[in-house]
Amino acid sequence: MNLTMRRWLPHTVALIALLALLYPLLWLLVTSVKPADEVVTSVNLWPSHFEWSNYSTALDGVSGVSVTRLLGNSLLISLGAVVGNVMSCSLAAYAFARLRFRMRGPMFAFTVATLMLPQHVVLIPQYIIFNKLGMTNTFWPLILPKFLAVDAFFVFLIVQFMRNLPRELEEAARIDGCGPFRSFFHIVLPLSRPALITTAIFSFIWSWNDFFAQMIYLFSPQKATITLALRNFVDQSSTSAYGPMFAMSVISVLPIVLFFFVFQRYLVQGMATSGLKS
Amino acid sequence: MSVSQIDVPKPAGPAADRADARRRARGRREARWPAYVFLTPWMIGAVAVTLVPMAVSLYLSFTSYDMFNAPHWVGLRNYREMLFDDPRYWRSVLTTLKYVVIAVPLKLALALGAALLLKRLRAGRGFYRSAFYAPSLLGASMSIALVFRALFNDGGTVDNVLGTFGIHLGGWVGDPHLATFVVVMLTIWQFGAPMVIFLAGLQQISPELYEAAGLDGAGAWRQFVSITVPMLSPVVFFNLVLEMIQSFQVFTPAFVVSGGNGGPADSTLFYTLYLYERGFTASHMGYASAMAWLMLLAIAAVTAVMFKVSRAWVFYADEAE
Amino acid sequence: MPEPRSGRRRFLRRRAVATAVAAGCSTVLLAALTSCGASGAAGHHITLTFTWWGNDDRQARTEKAVRLFEKAHPDVTVQMSNADFGSYKQRLATQAAGGGIPDLAQLDYRQISQFSTGGALLPLDSYVQDGTLHTGEMDPSLVHTGHLAGKQYALPMGRGITGYVYDATVFAQAGIPAPQPSWTWQDYAAVDAKIAAMKLKSPDGRTVAGSNDGGSNEDVFEDWLRSHGKQLYAGPTKLGYTEQDLAAFWSFCHRLQKSGALVSAKDSAQADATGISAFSRGLDALDYSWDATFTGFTSPTGHTMRYAPVPGVDGKAGAYFKPTMLIGIGAHSKHPQMAAELMDFLLNDQQAGDILGVTRSQPPNRAIAAEVDRKLSGPDLKVWQFDEQMQKYGVQPPPAAPPKGDVAIESAFVREYQRVEFGLASPAKAAHELVVQAKQELES
Repeated sequence: MNLTMRRWLPHTVALIALLALLYPLLWLLVTSVKPADEVVTSVNLWPSHFEWSNYSTALDGVSGVSVTRLLGNSLLISLGAVVGNVMSCSLAAYAFARLRFRMRGPMFAFTVATLMLPQHVVLIPQYIIFNKLGMTNTFWPLILPKFLAVDAFFVFLIVQFMRNLPRELEEAARIDGCGPFRSFFHIVLPLSRPALITTAIFSFIWSWNDFFAQMIYLFSPQKATITLALRNFVDQSSTSAYGPMFAMSVISVLPIVLFFFVFQRYLVQGMATSGLKS
Repeated sequence: MSVSQIDVPKPAGPAADRADARRRARGRREARWPAYVFLTPWMIGAVAVTLVPMAVSLYLSFTSYDMFNAPHWVGLRNYREMLFDDPRYWRSVLTTLKYVVIAVPLKLALALGAALLLKRLRAGRGFYRSAFYAPSLLGASMSIALVFRALFNDGGTVDNVLGTFGIHLGGWVGDPHLATFVVVMLTIWQFGAPMVIFLAGLQQISPELYEAAGLDGAGAWRQFVSITVPMLSPVVFFNLVLEMIQSFQVFTPAFVVSGGNGGPADSTLFYTLYLYERGFTASHMGYASAMAWLMLLAIAAVTAVMFKVSRAWVFYADEAE
Repeated sequence: MPEPRSGRRRFLRRRAVATAVAAGCSTVLLAALTSCGASGAAGHHITLTFTWWGNDDRQARTEKAVRLFEKAHPDVTVQMSNADFGSYKQRLATQAAGGGIPDLAQLDYRQISQFSTGGALLPLDSYVQDGTLHTGEMDPSLVHTGHLAGKQYALPMGRGITGYVYDATVFAQAGIPAPQPSWTWQDYAAVDAKIAAMKLKSPDGRTVAGSNDGGSNEDVFEDWLRSHGKQLYAGPTKLGYTEQDLAAFWSFCHRLQKSGALVSAKDSAQADATGISAFSRGLDALDYSWDATFTGFTSPTGHTMRYAPVPGVDGKAGAYFKPTMLIGIGAHSKHPQMAAELMDFLLNDQQAGDILGVTRSQPPNRAIAAEVDRKLSGPDLKVWQFDEQMQKYGVQPPPAAPPKGDVAIESAFVREYQRVEFGLASPAKAAHELVVQAKQELES
């Protein structure tokens, strides 16, 4: 009895928590099939009838651009961000966490400091730079910086993880004649996998949802992302099609839900599976 | 208080000195150049994408700049006006501080609780992990703001649920005293990021430690206090610093909940929202840049204090004997 | 240290190479990109950029009209982009700061002062004089709204007027006749009180108020001022009203609101934040709106909707025909002549006019408008009839475009009135605060 209790208690707690957590999402899903006039006024969660046409309206796309195209653009930017961040941030983090060089302190402090500057303020100078490089209305301003480790959050994250790896392995490797490069690729990188997976997942999701930079840099409808299109969908100077907008919201988060669902299992494979024996 | 005083992950303290000594004793001196190879992309980014724009914004903070005409130098006028002549500035500071103090601990507690719970669950782990993270996948889009408004409306779900307990608050979003809490709810609801980082941190703790403790007869609570807490402390610290920094800069949730104006009656006018309003709506970019730099200094000061205090409670494996 | 399985080691090594290559390449990449990012102008081919805000209907029509222009000019390609209004304003401001706005840009009445004084717009006078741009068929007072500091910076793209959408079914129930152009603010107050007293229930079960609360809307205040013989701005740096004028307006609204004749403060705040009007939630029977927006209103209760004039004072109307939006040429345009030709085509070509219809409200060109209006039906026709009625009744000509501080003053207007609504300030105190802020804004 006691044992059954102990086995079921966490599940019970988790399910109750989920109910509260997921209620807003349920609301979103249900509203996406509500008839237009019930979206804003009705207090009932359940619609009087299901309005599937919300989805066909949403799938028609925005400004004559198909949803496939919009999703493709979002995907390209997000995957670019994933590859860029994982590579450049892990390289920089290793240097900060494990190597010794002049100006390391100030450099790392600078990285942390960049986290504290509100994005909107460097927006215009950055825009001017990318404009001078002829990169406005291309995906470069959204992808290139990721290859240059400017997301200090991830550098900081991976540093914190690498610092938590015992040094003995690298010590041993060095005695075996491994330089910092082999040490990085063969020991530290594999052991930092949880942090790298975390970086990849966050990069993807945050790029996907990042509306602000996309809005500033991408003008033409063919370059638009799903997030931009969603915003275009609700134009306050005309009729707001709320049903289709919620349908569009659902469509726009499906890819990240899938992405997360596929990759979340790798989060578990930490130290436990890396065969580390001190 | 300068940013450069921030503690960095250097082999600090006596343990590290000993490690250094060991290394020297082996007679191996590390070359410096590999570090710069690793840092090449970072350095290009730091200069081109970050440092130059930051310098520009610092310069702009001493000018009057409307984004259209060339900026002209006004010295410290923006800073003076902000500190001594702008009641809304201080209103936004207070609103933001209140928010940080409420939202950060709540969000981290939820994230850690969820991470520990997930670790306990054997069956359906993937499902639970995804489900707990699901709210965070949505960001703070227009549609999510509408969902939250619907929930917190007069006669909305929250009103009805509280009503059964005899609490009648009415609509939250249109109430200056409660609107901030909708923003708080929206942000703590999305605790997925710190949760995942906690999870990754928990995964990093070697199971042998727990096994050994178990053999020594330590109970679950004892194991939590003497293994999980110290081993997780760098991750807790990371989350704490980051959430703090991000909460000071909270923008999007407040922007979507208030429809961009920080209303009703300035009750959700967070610092960055006010900065945005001054910079992009009213075209006082010089003033907005000055606001940003004061904010940077303030956050840097708080962060520096956190780093200082962290030495007392954060434990790094690479400093361990 | 365990030996990793050979397969994995090989994989790691491959990944290592890839990583190193990529890290090294990013610099090369940067160099390569800079050289091929900017597109060289090929031969005589001209690419124009044209940007606007608006919905899908406007998008489809504009696209069609522009394709027509491209057919007539084979050497021209027009790149278009549109966005929602909020994003659009932000993007255009960033572009203006970071190297110039597109060749052609749709502009808001409140934006043009700032864009023209900031040198972001090209003066159009020479194109008007040499006949590239025709303004002969447009109402001179409407054309004049794009005239600032002695130069023509923009031309109107559409013409509209404000009014009140009202629930005719509720009006009939209450025995209230359809409001005429001559109705006054006192009539409006009485109507609101009468409807509120009926204690009707909205779809979500709350009492229906008479009207939405115009206290936070600068446009309503402007109509109020004009009907009292004053104006919003007396000059580029001068307000056209006093603290007392504003306090009187806010007291009028606030008194009505407290008596329940207007929508509650909370609901007004929500409507301000969401852009979902109280009317569309069925919470009131009257709502201030643009004539063109009227076509988009749907009644949650299925009631009949009509459109009423804005109240006035002693036969003096406060509402006026203003440009719904204007169009200008970016100061840094490489092809200003071609941009001007496209602008003229959109404004004055009959075929283009037929395609565009009333997607930007009434076309400013009278001949085109006459042609378009003949084919109107449904709500569009109702809007046109309303416009005709107001035209006959007689309205004052529009003022010059608001000065650049107006954007900030407009948001202060919402904020300060909310302070009144939530009891944080008296109308007199809030009016004082607003006037102080407005003066600061105009003089900066």
